[in-house]
Amino acid sequence: MAQSEQTGIIGKGITIRGNLTGGGDLVIEGRVEGQISLKNHLTIERNGHVEAEIRAEELTINGEASGNIDATSMVSISSSAKVAGDIKAPRVVIEDGAVFNGTIQMDVKLPDNI
Amino acid sequence: MANTVIGSSIVIDGEISGDEDLVIQGTVKGKISVKESLIVDRSGVVEADIETQNVEVSGKVTGNINATDKVELKSDCRVIGDIKAPRILIADGASFKGNVDMDVKEP
Amino acid sequence: MANPKDSSISSGDSTVIGESIVINGKLTGDEDLTVRGRLEGELSLTKTLIVEASGVVKANVEVKNAVVSGAVVGNIDAGESVELTKEGRMVGDIRSPRVILVDGASLRGRIDMGEVKGERSEKGARPVRAVRSVPVPARPAARIGKSKLEGKPSPPPPPSESRSGAPVPPLVAAGSRRRVVVKKKAR
Repeated sequence: MAQSEQTGIIGKGITIRGNLTGGGDLVIEGRVEGQISLKNHLTIERNGHVEAEIRAEELTINGEASGNIDATSMVSISSSAKVAGDIKAPRVVIEDGAVFNGTIQMDVKLPDNI
Repeated sequence: MANTVIGSSIVIDGEISGDEDLVIQGTVKGKISVKESLIVDRSGVVEADIETQNVEVSGKVTGNINATDKVELKSDCRVIGDIKAPRILIADGASFKGNVDMDVKEP
Repeated sequence: MANPKDSSISSGDSTVIGESIVINGKLTGDEDLTVRGRLEGELSLTKTLIVEASGVVKANVEVKNAVVSGAVVGNIDAGESVELTKEGRMVGDIRSPRVILVDGASLRGRIDMGEVKGERSEKGARPVRAVRSVPVPARPAARIGKSKLEGKPSPPPPPSESRSGAPVPPLVAAGSRRRVVVKKKAR
């Protein structure tokens, strides 16, 4: 898979079952089932379909994802996305129109008097 | 000074306290304790003991009123309960049943 | 048409709970409610709840829409939408068909949007299930004395495979539940 600064693309017709790891960015337009572990940015495009446990630095979801997500910086779920699973990340954005079912674990700073 | 208005469709069953003026147009059951003024508008229904500085009632109050400055019962209001305040104004047309204690102090 | 979320001047009444006000108890209403102070207990509105940056709501909330810029500890059940703005903080579960989390918002809890919207072509229509083209393993469809057949479309088993040896009557209509009764032909 992509090492260093290259962006890997899993094209529309491709299905991967198994573990994916890498240091570069990855764009998924096809289908991935299993486990994904990236050091950088994972993008699941509109037609992309992922059923996997995902660990990445940053995640942009425009398509379908199911499975737990652990991101070190941010998860963006755009309006065309359908996501199911538990998300753990310091920042999570859900756009209007997105479909999400699952839990979100962010660090919530509540006022002292609560 | 900020002003909180409890709108006419609101029903509160509990305790209200605060440091600002309160206008009640809805229904409050329980206890009210505000630092300065309480206004019970014509549509307001209060079933609570009230503790504040000034009270002006145009609606319905069932409960005891304890004001450190003044209580004003306007025309067409209905108040049932004891009032304790140094100054009391009951307008013609007001309906009131209860005790009044103006805390008359000996000079 | 005015978006219920951004009308502070709403069509009906609108209640504002000021910054220094603390309400402890149960609140219900048929109007928009803006909380700048503190509300603890239970909240049920047919319209919009706006929790401003200084607002604190420690309650289970049932509303049509909610816009949270302050702190909420409790569950929100909204018929239309829930938005956590960039200063919004919430610990609790959200149940609503539309949920928006703006960058900067923080949440710890569950989000339940319910049915996936895309699969619904019209209201109430159930997602169409593709008819299985995979051949169903041949099973004697008829058993003596027993009758019920599952509603799955399946090719009628050839008569020769019937356990009883008697000819199996053909299935009447695929996809419907039907009773198949095998009668032994008198010989």
